[in-house]
Amino acid sequence: MNVLRRILGGPVGAILLAFFLAACAMLVAGVSPADGFQALFIGSLGGKQQIAETLVQTTALLFPALGISLAFRAGLFNIGAEGQLVVGGLAAGAVGAHFAASTPIAVFVLLACGFIGGGVWGAIAGWLRAQFNANEIISTLMLNFIALAIANYLVSGPLKSSAAAGAETAPLPGSSWLPLLIPDTRLSIGLLIAIAAAIVLRWVFTRTVFGYELRAAGEAPEAARRNGVNMPRMTFLALTLSGAIAGLGGATLVTGVLHRFNTQLSPGYGYTAIAVALVGDLNPLWVCVAAFGFGILEAGGLAMQALADVPKDAIHVIEGLIILVLAARRYIATRAEGAPI
Amino acid sequence: MQDVLLSLRGICKSFPGVRAVDGVDLDLYSHEIHALVGENGAGKSTLANVAFGALKPDEGTVETGGNRVGLVHQHFELVGRLSVWQNVMLGREPRRGWSIDARAARARVVDLARRNGLEIDPDAFVDELPVGVQQRVELLRELEREPAVLLLDEPTAALAPAEIDSFFKTITALAQGGTAIMIVTHKLQEVIAYTKRVSVMRHGKIVGRFETAKTSVDEIARAMVGGDLPQVAQREPVVQTPCFHMDQVSAGSGSTAIRDISLQVNAGEIVGIAGVEGNGQTTLADAIAGMIPHAGTISLVDVGMRTGVIPQDRHREGLVLGWSIVDNVVLGRQRLAETRRGVTIDRAAARADAQAIVKSLDVRAASLEVAVKTLSGGNQQKIVVGRALLGNPQFVLAYQPTRGIDVGAAALVQSRLIEARNAGTAVLLVSFELDEILALADRVLVMYRGQIAGSFARDEIDRARIGRLMAGSAS
Repeated sequence: MNVLRRILGGPVGAILLAFFLAACAMLVAGVSPADGFQALFIGSLGGKQQIAETLVQTTALLFPALGISLAFRAGLFNIGAEGQLVVGGLAAGAVGAHFAASTPIAVFVLLACGFIGGGVWGAIAGWLRAQFNANEIISTLMLNFIALAIANYLVSGPLKSSAAAGAETAPLPGSSWLPLLIPDTRLSIGLLIAIAAAIVLRWVFTRTVFGYELRAAGEAPEAARRNGVNMPRMTFLALTLSGAIAGLGGATLVTGVLHRFNTQLSPGYGYTAIAVALVGDLNPLWVCVAAFGFGILEAGGLAMQALADVPKDAIHVIEGLIILVLAARRYIATRAEGAPI
Repeated sequence: MQDVLLSLRGICKSFPGVRAVDGVDLDLYSHEIHALVGENGAGKSTLANVAFGALKPDEGTVETGGNRVGLVHQHFELVGRLSVWQNVMLGREPRRGWSIDARAARARVVDLARRNGLEIDPDAFVDELPVGVQQRVELLRELEREPAVLLLDEPTAALAPAEIDSFFKTITALAQGGTAIMIVTHKLQEVIAYTKRVSVMRHGKIVGRFETAKTSVDEIARAMVGGDLPQVAQREPVVQTPCFHMDQVSAGSGSTAIRDISLQVNAGEIVGIAGVEGNGQTTLADAIAGMIPHAGTISLVDVGMRTGVIPQDRHREGLVLGWSIVDNVVLGRQRLAETRRGVTIDRAAARADAQAIVKSLDVRAASLEVAVKTLSGGNQQKIVVGRALLGNPQFVLAYQPTRGIDVGAAALVQSRLIEARNAGTAVLLVSFELDEILALADRVLVMYRGQIAGSFARDEIDRARIGRLMAGSAS
């Protein structure tokens, strides 16, 4: 009984409640919730292609969500994962278009480019915060716009492929593509890299001295500062690594899915990932589960629109409701907690 | 004529793993001060919170008969960036149309402070005030609601002797005006001096009820610990060699700045810094801990020497409250070779260290994995102290090491400090409780307005003269 209550009281309960509220919204809109949800689940889990597509979305969300988790754990609100992901993708795409090597080396180099690119973008905010105490919420958000503007300029100008009609880089040579995980789908081994990243991140958080200092800095900055944690350095490193992980995500999208860079790389993964990280309680393994859940919503949303005539935006309503319910539950739980003796 | 203004019957309250309050009956009468005393974790704060209504009891009833109950918390709940009057009136601001009638609100606070004999600057920002004055703000905030019953949780824990006197003058006057007052405390001299009745709590139960006039410190203390008082360790003769130096050190600014402080602490010596709070002690400690820049030199005889710090504010500076005992024992030592295995933290070693601290300082906790925020203040402090003394440091800075903890816990903490001294540790002790300084220190330095106003070896201590120096009157 207690176990059940704890599970329902956590994210699962929030998700169920969000679905219930979404069903109410569908009823009001004159759509049968049964049809809507059926379309959602068939569209996301109904077959090999659908499952693969869900996992593609999962991968795309997982990298920035892990990066965000790292920053949030350090007490830094990095909401610039979107820009970091774009810069990472841009770095991979720009280098990849003019670079050829045998497969493992080429892929490795491009992923490293993404990691470094995103890292640099995160490092800018980290440096501003560490050096001038510039609020990272503002700076990371602003850097998103700068990243997109720069990417737009480069793919419409200097990096524009002469062969392509739209604004995008030249396609990557086949040797630079991430191998597929499931043949004849869009799912690459990027998923495995993301899961490996989550496992490494969990190890860093729970086992390493660096992770210990990072969590201390996030939970009790003054105690951390007085107990040997170099706070400016930690701020810089946390935002840099956070950006690097998001940038790695951008590079996996380029090398694993699009095989070129364009500014449609991300339909806002970096923003949705904030919710993914929070639903996953900033715990890397739960973030994987949360990313899968959001992957279902992202992939199933289109099917819902096509099959049940529920607008795709309804998915964003559900995502929003999940966050709202979770936030409310956390607030209630905090209030109900007894005072210490 | 005395009336019962608050009546508790059969109160039980449990937290995960502990039965904090276990079947307590208690009546508070008008026109008197009632003391609730007890060891760490005896359930005093929990009981006060139940009486106030902040916690719902699992069993039992709280009968207030419609009387208003006020509670002043042990840890202040003030908004640092607001002024004194804004804090006092918070949530009950008088209005003028859509806006706050600032002038009326401020006037009310000034009047309230004057009527209760509390000296305060209504426009000062709370986070710039010393703890003793913040206490007054907290008290004023409760008084503004004109409570019939006033509960005070460890009200004098951070006050200087003179402040304590004036504090009790205020609440004695309140009691004479008819308010029922209960103070939760562990300072038995205050209990004897100012209260009418005493209730002693142990393990969640009331184990003794006394009329103050008919009891003694000794009797209360024995009831608290359930037997004889723990003895503080004996000091042993130690060969003293130089260990820690400060030479012409200046730091900080404003009223808490320190100027040209020179001192030396030898190995095997406890040097006590006596003084009223707000005379630069915090600045001194921060300069030594390397938290603020300073002029002059601060040095250990050998740079490789190991140091330990017992910080002023265990909640903010010493612990990560949401973490387990084991994780907190690592804090500050996470980079030491003994705590690491390569880039990872050696959990087994950390557990062993935590186990050693729990054992040597008698920390009461359900397990090593419970969050330290669930422990009582005394048990939290024991963890901070035990951690600072791990690995036999050559130099320890102890800032108010027994702040807000009870007799038994304080005796243990003091014993460990003396034992460290006997083993050759140099200890710099900062305390606002003169009794503690006199009990522990081999040498006493008096700090006044950021400077050392006097120095006394243990065999030439003159309490009256130290008191005068602390107050700033001529030597």
